[in-house]
Amino acid sequence: MTWSLNEIEGLSRKAARGAGLSWGLAEEVGKATRWLCAAGLPGAEALAGLLRQNDGADYETLCPLDDTGTWAAKGGALCPLISGAAICDHAKDIADGKTLELGQTSFPLLLLPYVAAAAQDNETTLTLEWPGLTVTFGAETCINQTIPGALDHDSAAGVRITSASAGDGTPLAPVTRGDIAPEIAQILTEFAHRTYAPDTAQSRLAGAGAGLSDND
Amino acid sequence: MQQPDSIRIAPRDPNVVMRLARLGSFHQSRLSFMRVLLRRLKAEKWQFERVVFDIDARGVGRAVYTAHGPHRSYSLIAFANDLPPEKRSDRVIATEWDATFTLFDGIPTPADLDRLSQNVPRQEAGRITETELSLSRANRSVRLWDYVVDCLARGQQPDQGRIDDVGYLMRTTAVYGSGKFGAADRETTADRDEFQAPFQIEMLSVFLTRAFVMDLVEHMAAMRAPETAVPLAPKLRRRFGIGNSTGLGMAPFILNHPALLNNWIAAREEALARIRALPTATAEAAQSFRDFAKRARLHALSWQSEHPIQIAKLDGLRADMEALIAHLTEADLTSETPWNRLWLWAETALSVEGQELVASLLMEPYGDLVDGLSCCMAADEAATWRIDGAMQVSDLRAITRDVYGWALEIDWAERDATARVWYTSEAKLEPRLGERFDEPIEPYEQPLCPGRDAARMFADLADFPDGPVAGFLLKHPEHRHVVRRAQIAARLPYAEIRDNTIDASVLPIDMLRAKLSFFGACHFDPRSDRWLRINMFQHAPFPGELAGGNADDWTYPYLEGRA
Repeated sequence: MTWSLNEIEGLSRKAARGAGLSWGLAEEVGKATRWLCAAGLPGAEALAGLLRQNDGADYETLCPLDDTGTWAAKGGALCPLISGAAICDHAKDIADGKTLELGQTSFPLLLLPYVAAAAQDNETTLTLEWPGLTVTFGAETCINQTIPGALDHDSAAGVRITSASAGDGTPLAPVTRGDIAPEIAQILTEFAHRTYAPDTAQSRLAGAGAGLSDND
Repeated sequence: MQQPDSIRIAPRDPNVVMRLARLGSFHQSRLSFMRVLLRRLKAEKWQFERVVFDIDARGVGRAVYTAHGPHRSYSLIAFANDLPPEKRSDRVIATEWDATFTLFDGIPTPADLDRLSQNVPRQEAGRITETELSLSRANRSVRLWDYVVDCLARGQQPDQGRIDDVGYLMRTTAVYGSGKFGAADRETTADRDEFQAPFQIEMLSVFLTRAFVMDLVEHMAAMRAPETAVPLAPKLRRRFGIGNSTGLGMAPFILNHPALLNNWIAAREEALARIRALPTATAEAAQSFRDFAKRARLHALSWQSEHPIQIAKLDGLRADMEALIAHLTEADLTSETPWNRLWLWAETALSVEGQELVASLLMEPYGDLVDGLSCCMAADEAATWRIDGAMQVSDLRAITRDVYGWALEIDWAERDATARVWYTSEAKLEPRLGERFDEPIEPYEQPLCPGRDAARMFADLADFPDGPVAGFLLKHPEHRHVVRRAQIAARLPYAEIRDNTIDASVLPIDMLRAKLSFFGACHFDPRSDRWLRINMFQHAPFPGELAGGNADDWTYPYLEGRA
C-alpha cells in the first residue's frame, strides 16, 4: 500500500502535535516529512524514531538555548524539528555568509527539508554537513555520503550549515507516493491519535450539530 | 469614439468583507467553480458516454460515465447499494450509503472496477490509489426517491411542486479529493488546464453524479414495470440538482488555506471593482442586468428553509429584491458610472444578503471582464507559507494591529468570547465544535481561532525587545502558527476571517456558506447552526445537452416566454 504525500503530511503534522510540539512547529513537521518522502528518503521512519525518543520531554530541553554561537540543547541533544524551524527563521543570516554550528542533534536527516527551504527561499546554495555526510542544496539537492548509513543515523555529534557555491554527490530521485512500513505508520498513528477527543454521547449528539433530521 | 475616463474603485476593505455575517451571505456568481467547469466543458467540446450500467432490480450494481476532453478522459465510477433505511445518515460517522463514487483518471479496466468495488463502497475505511482523483457518496432523498420511481413506473410524470420542494433525488454527504484515503495528490494533476481553477475535480465528479442519479431513477422504474414505465420529461429532469449535506469539516478548510481563501475573495472583489469603475454601460448591459434582477427575485422566492435564521434572512432578501426592482424602474443604468451608483445605493438600501446578491448579479452582463479572473483563484500556498524570521518584532506588532485590530478589542477573559472549541473526535475523525466550559475537550483544541491566538501573541510581543522575529519564535513556539497567519494576511488582504470563530454566538454555517457559494451552490438551507444542505447543478444542462445548450446561464429561473 502506498500513501499519498498529502496523507503523509497530515499524519506527520498530527503526530508531531500529539507528541507535544506547538501547532506551528507541527505544521512544518508535516511539510518536512512530506518533502523527505517525496525525495525517496526515510522521513517517516526518522520522525517515528524521534517522537518516541523525545516523548514527554519539554520544549526547553530540546530547543537551542540561544541562537548565538553554537546551538546546543539543555537536555543534551537538539530536536531537529525545533532546530530546523529555527534554521529557516535564520535563513537570511546563513545566506549572507554566517555559518551555523549545531551541537549534538537527534535524527539529523529531519534537518534536510528545512535547509532545503532556507536555500530555496533565499535563492542561494547551502550545504548541510555532519560526520560522514554532506548534502548540498542548490539547483538540485545532492547527497555525498562518505560513511555508509550516515544519513540515517539517529544522532550526529555536530552539524554545520553554511553557504556554498556548488557541491557534488548523488542527486535526489523524487517520487510521487510514500512507502511507509506498517509498524512506522502505526507509531505515527498512535501519536496522531492523541489529538483526537474521546467520543462521548454528548459530543456525538451536539458536536456536529444535531438539528433537523438528516434522513429525509 | 472617445470613452470617458474610468474612475478608480479600490476593492472593498477586508475589514468589511471578511466578517462572518457577510461571508455567510455570499451567493454563487460567474466565478463559481461549477460554472467555470461547464464553460470549459462546452468550449472544449467535451464528449460524454455511459460505458457501463449494470444495476439490478434492487438497485445494486455499478456504472461508469466517461468524459473525454481534448487531452484526457476521466471516468465517474458509481457503486449503487440497497441500503436499509435505518443505516441512512448524512453524518461523517455513517458507514454505508445508497451510492458511492470515485472519479478515475482515465478509463478503468475491469480489474480496476473490481479493485474499486472492494474499496469505494467502504469510503473512509477503504483505500484508493493515485489513479483515483476523488471519493464521494450520496444518499437518496426519502421524500422524493420512491415517489418518483412510483410515478415513472406507472407511466406518469411526478408533480413539479413536489420536485421543487426538495430539488434533488440524492444528496452527496462528502466529496473527498487531493490525496484523501490514498487518492492522487492535487499536485499530480494541478498542471492540467482543466484543473487550473479550484475544485474542478470535485465539480466534475458531482456533475457526472447527477447524470448517473437521473439514469438510475429511470432504470429503477423500468425494472419495476417494464411495460408501463416512462423516462422523466426533459423539462422536469432539469429541475433536479444534486443535493449536498455539508457539516463542520468545511470550516477548518477555509481557515487552513488562507492564501486560497484570499485568492477566491480577491477575484470576486476585483470583479466587483472593475464593474463599478465602468464609466458607462450599454443599453444591452443595462437590460441584461434588469432581467437578471427579475430572475434572481424568482430564485429568492423559490428558496426554502425551515431554519429561523435563514427564514429571517430570506425575508430580508425578498424585500431587497422588490426594492432593487423598484429602484431599477427609474435608475439610469447607462451613464455616469452607473454600476458604482447602483452599488452605493445597495450599500445603504439593502441587507447584507441583498448587497452580496447585487455583487454577484453585477458580474452577469460582464463575462469579458469577469470570467478570466477564474484563473487567479488557485493558490501557490507554498509561496507565502514560510515564516519570514528576519522581520522585525516591531513590524510584526504593526501588522498584528492592522490585520487583527478587531481581535485586540475583544475582552478574551469574557467566557462568551472563548465559549467554543474546535476539535476532532476519535469517532471517524469527525470535526466537531464543543463547549469549552462544559466538556473536557480543551486539550484537543485545533488552531482555528486566529483572533484569540493573535491577541495572545500580541500580549507577548508587547514586552519583547525589538529584533528579528526568529528570536521571538524560539522563545514562543506556541505563537508560531499565528505568526505565519499574520505574515500571510499582511500580504494577502482577504486571507483571514476577521471575526471570532470561537465566540458563543459563532455560526459555523457562515463559513460553510462562504465556501459553498464559491462552488456555485444555491438554496442554502441550514439544518442547525453547524450543518446545512444545498443544491448543486439544479437546472444545469446534462452532459449530453452541453453542446447544444447554454452552459453558463442556468442558475436563475428564466422569465416567462424566454429560455
